[in-house]
Amino acid sequence: MELARSSRIPAVSARRRTDRLFKNAVFYLVLVVIAMGMVFPFLWIFLTSLKGPTDAIFSVPPQLIPYAPTLDNFKSVLDQLPIGNFFLNSIFVGAVTTLCNVTITALAAYPLAKMKFAGRETIFYLLLATLVVPAQLTYIPSFVLAVNFFHYYNTLAALIFPNLSTAFNVFLLRQAFRSVPNDLIDAARIDGANELRIWWDVLIPVIRPSLATAGIFTFVNMWNDFLWPSLMLHTRDRMTLPVGLAALQGMFSSDMRSIAAGVTMTVIPILIFFMVLQKYFVRGLTGAVKG
Amino acid sequence: MTKKFSFTPYLFLAPALLVTAVFIIYPIISVIYYSFTDYDIMTPPVWVGLKNYIELATDSTFWLAMRNSLIYLIATPTLIVLSIITAILVNRKLPGITLFRALYYVPAVSGSIAIGITWRMIFDSNGIINGILMTLGILKEPFQWLAEPALTLPLLIMLTVWAGIGYYMMVFLAGLQNIPEELYDAARIDGCSEVQKHWHVSVPGLRPQIVFVAVISSLAALKVFDEVYVLTSRTGGIMDSGITIVFYLWRKGFQLSHAGYASAIAIALLAVTLIFSLVNIRLQEHRMEAD
Repeated sequence: MELARSSRIPAVSARRRTDRLFKNAVFYLVLVVIAMGMVFPFLWIFLTSLKGPTDAIFSVPPQLIPYAPTLDNFKSVLDQLPIGNFFLNSIFVGAVTTLCNVTITALAAYPLAKMKFAGRETIFYLLLATLVVPAQLTYIPSFVLAVNFFHYYNTLAALIFPNLSTAFNVFLLRQAFRSVPNDLIDAARIDGANELRIWWDVLIPVIRPSLATAGIFTFVNMWNDFLWPSLMLHTRDRMTLPVGLAALQGMFSSDMRSIAAGVTMTVIPILIFFMVLQKYFVRGLTGAVKG
Repeated sequence: MTKKFSFTPYLFLAPALLVTAVFIIYPIISVIYYSFTDYDIMTPPVWVGLKNYIELATDSTFWLAMRNSLIYLIATPTLIVLSIITAILVNRKLPGITLFRALYYVPAVSGSIAIGITWRMIFDSNGIINGILMTLGILKEPFQWLAEPALTLPLLIMLTVWAGIGYYMMVFLAGLQNIPEELYDAARIDGCSEVQKHWHVSVPGLRPQIVFVAVISSLAALKVFDEVYVLTSRTGGIMDSGITIVFYLWRKGFQLSHAGYASAIAIALLAVTLIFSLVNIRLQEHRMEAD
C-alpha cells in the first residue's frame, strides 16, 4: 500500500510536469507570434535601411538579410536632412516644456488640493472642462496669435508656450498633493514657513514620483506631437523629429532604403529612452487610472 | 475657523490660469467667432452669419469625414479586448516575460509619424506584406493596398489598434496586478476554467481601467490626424476614403486657407466630443449607481 502510493505520486507529478512544459511551450509560442507582429515591421525597416543597391527590396520569397550591408543610406539621409538638428530641437522643446509645465502645474495643484479659497470649485471645474476640448480646435486662433501677436512662427517657442500648462497634469499632481497628510503642512506652518517654502521644501520631495510621471507624460507627448509643430515649423533647421521625418518621407518618396534609414535613426533613441524609464511609465499608468 | 482673505492661492494658480486663458479659452471664443466669418488668416474676417454652417450641412466631404471618424470608434472596443487578452498573457512570472512586455510596447513609443511611415512601407506594392502573401501563394501579383479606397479606413484603424495595444496592455497589466490572488483561488475552487476565471474575476476587476481606456481611446479616435496624413501622403486617400474630421479641418484651414469654414468644422468636432463626453459621464454614473 505504502509502496504503491509512493510510486504513484512521482508518476502523476511527472505527467504534470510534461503537461506544464507543453503548456509553457505553447504559451511562449503565442508570445513569440504576437512579438513578431509588433516588432517585425520595424525589423524589416531596420534590415531594409542596411540594404545596398544590389539587394532587392521586393522579391518572392522576400529577401530579409542584406547581402551587401551598407551605411550609405544613413549617410545620404544625413547629407540632405539635419537629423542631428531634429534631435536637438526635439530634446530642447521636450526638456524646456516638461520642466516649466511640471513647475506651473505643481504650483496650481497645491492650492486646489490643500487650500480653501473663494472660487476654488469654479477654477477646478473650468480646468476639468478644458480636458475634453480637443487641442486641434484651438489651432486656427493659435496660428493667428503666433503670427500676429507672439511673432514666434517658425521658432521652437511656438511649441513650448501653448503647452506650459496641461489640465491632465494639474489633476495628476492635485491627486498627489491630496494624499500628503495635513499634519506635515501644519507642522511646517507652525514653524513659520510661508506657503512657497512649504510647497518647495515639504511637498515637492514627497510627491516626487508623481512629478516624474507627469514629466515623462509631458515629454513623450511633446516628443511625438506632430500637427501643431508641422503648422509652426517650416525651415529644416528648426524642425522637430516627427516634422522632419514627415519631410523625409516627402523628399525620398520612392527611395525606401533612405526612408528606412531615417525611421531607424529616429526610433532607436526613443526605444532606449523608454527601456531606461520603463519603471516610471508603469507606475505613472497605475497612478493615472486611480487618480 | 475664520480665515482672512489671502492672495496666496491665486498667485499659485496664476501661471496655469494665464496659459489656459491664452491658449484654450481665448481660442475657443475666437473659433466660435471665426465660424461665422469668411476668413483666410491673412485678411481680416468678414461676418457672413450662418453661411459656413449651411454649407457644412450639405458638404458631402464633411459628412464622409464625420462618418469615418465615427467608424474609427471601432478601434476602442477592439483595443480594449485585445489589450486585456495581451495583459493577461504577460501577467505571469515566467522567465523572459519582461522582454515580451517591452517588445509589445515598441509600436506604442515609436511615435505616430514613424509608425505611419512604417505601415506605408510594409503595405507598399513593393512592401513585405505583398512579398509574404505572394510567397505563400495567396496573391499572384503585387496588390496596391494603399490605392484601394475600401481598404484605407480599415488599414488606418488597424494601424491605430496595433500601435495602441502596448500602451493599453500596460494599463490593464497594472490593473491585473492589483486584483487579489484569493479571488482567482476562489474561482478555481468553484470549478471555473482558465477562460471563465478571467471572465468572472479579471474583467470585473479591471473596470476602472476599462473606463479609462474607453474614454482616452475614443477621444483619441475622434481626433485622428497623423496616421491619415502619413499613410495617405497628405491626400486623405483616394476619393477621400481615409478622411477624418481633424484631417478635413486641417485641409480646409491650413491647406486651402478657408479658416472660417475650418472653424465651423472645429465647432462640429467640439460638439461631437462634448456629446461623447456626456455619454461617457452618464455611462459611468449609471455604473456607479449599479454598484
